[in-house]
Amino acid sequence: MRIGVIGAGLGGLLSASLLSEMGYRVEVFEKLPFLGGRFTNFNYRGYEISTGALHMIPHGSRGPLARMLKKAGAKVEIVDSKPEGTALYNGEEVKISRKRIPLRSRIAFLAHCVKNWFKEVKLSELEKKLDDFSARYLRAFLGWSFSITPEQTTLSKIYPVYRSILELGGPGVPVGGCRSVIEALVEVIRSNDCEINRQKVSVIRKEGYGFSVHLENRTAKRFDVVISDIGHEETARLSGLKSYAKLEPSRGIKYSIAVKQSFIDHTGVLFTLNTRRISGMNQVTNADPNLGKQNFLMAHQPMLTTNVRFEISEGLKDLKELLKGYDYEILAVQSFSDGWPVNRALAGSDIGCKTPVNGLYVVGDGAKGHDIEVDGIALGVEEVVEEIRKTL
Amino acid sequence: MIVVTEKCVGCATCMLVCPKDAITVEGKAEINHELCENCRKCVNYCPVEAINFLKT
Ligand SMILES: Cc1cc2nc3c(=O)[nH]c(=O)nc-3n(C[C@H](O)[C@H](O)[C@H](O)COP(=O)(O)OP(=O)(O)OC[C@H]3O[C@@H](n4cnc5c(N)ncnc54)[C@H](O)[C@@H]3O)c2cc1C
Ligand code: SF4
Ligand code: SF4
Repeated sequence: MRIGVIGAGLGGLLSASLLSEMGYRVEVFEKLPFLGGRFTNFNYRGYEISTGALHMIPHGSRGPLARMLKKAGAKVEIVDSKPEGTALYNGEEVKISRKRIPLRSRIAFLAHCVKNWFKEVKLSELEKKLDDFSARYLRAFLGWSFSITPEQTTLSKIYPVYRSILELGGPGVPVGGCRSVIEALVEVIRSNDCEINRQKVSVIRKEGYGFSVHLENRTAKRFDVVISDIGHEETARLSGLKSYAKLEPSRGIKYSIAVKQSFIDHTGVLFTLNTRRISGMNQVTNADPNLGKQNFLMAHQPMLTTNVRFEISEGLKDLKELLKGYDYEILAVQSFSDGWPVNRALAGSDIGCKTPVNGLYVVGDGAKGHDIEVDGIALGVEEVVEEIRKTL
Repeated sequence: MIVVTEKCVGCATCMLVCPKDAITVEGKAEINHELCENCRKCVNYCPVEAINFLKT
């Protein structure tokens, strides 16, 4: 049984490592000279700057990704954030707890749930009924976690995420950053004698019971099953399928900042509530000092307009105010959209791992299970692995 | 010569890997041609194929 995996992002590598552990013959194709896609990092001027992610695993060592890494035999140490988050509100850092949310807002939330559960009512409607703190926290939370605003989503889309956070708890930082997860997975794949090739896939063709995967160097390989980590739309394009999915991506901007003095004194997220754009920040060197030679802060914002330069200028104004009095240097400003977005599908609108073609699966972003970010990716991968195990 | 096209999303992967520190990014990559040595690393690492190498 031969399985071809297209794309060596987190979804592709996690699938390949699990399946290679189960004894399948797996071959991975990656078009770029590095592995890990939007979940790895490069050392840049002494800081481990990631290609995408904020070096955070949504549910830390307790979530689906941690569980699947263990299952694959990939050794990654994850430092769980403690506290999970605080908020900077009117110049003061406050704890986030149930007590902080006034009864009036909790009742408004419940009433909203009951009234609007089956309706596509935007979360901004709920926001209007909340007190100032809760409304701003909701906005910052959505901006940090999903690069979206309350105008872009509904309660039913976000609710599963909210539940899983209550159940599994908040984030953690992998020691070594995102790349350590990727390296651990690659080690498993290689130790099972499976190959990872640097090749761009140009066509996926169904042939009889299997597939032929055409590479840019004009060769083709045959597989019984194909797993694609390049998103539903690109998968449809390469397989000549009429586009069966139209997903709306989320777009955001990330700032990597070196600070002399420590700005955040914990390993969780600092949500910033009185800003134009910046939703939150983390100081990842608190979890792993080797991620930067000084304090290493990351800040994240959603894009509210399509004018990237304007969005960045708004974000930079926020940072100037937030970091007033600190010695800092902005190392990198990275914006994400279109072919390299924050998420290929707005939170809660992923469409699962199946395609119209039997034996062709999609994993990764856009094909998540019921959880967020890389933990959602892990659930999607789990489903595909289970499907393959059942049918083959 | 290295040329950045309209496809650039501003992800800064090229900046992170450029051995000559010849790239700055703020929404879009800009190449400092004085520093660039045409090694083409940025061309290969760009995830959206937004950088071209033009023979001059
Ligand atoms: C700014 C930002 C912050 C984020 N923060 C977090 C966070 O803190 N925590 C978190 O959990 N998630 C976070 N995310 C999301 C997370 O990074 C992504 O969801 C995840 O990395 C996506 O993995 P993937 O496997 O779906 O795809 P990708 O990482 O996109 O991998 C796809 C791979 O396929 C390759 N490929 C594409 N086309 C082809 C082809 N034709 N042939 C061969 N190879 C091909 C690509 O080169 C790439 O390597 C963040 C994202 C961004 C942008
Ligand atoms: S890597 Fe490509 S998309 Fe990213 S900033 Fe550089 S040129 Fe633009
Ligand atoms: S060609 Fe090489 S030196 Fe020039 S900008 Fe690209 S990576 Fe830097």
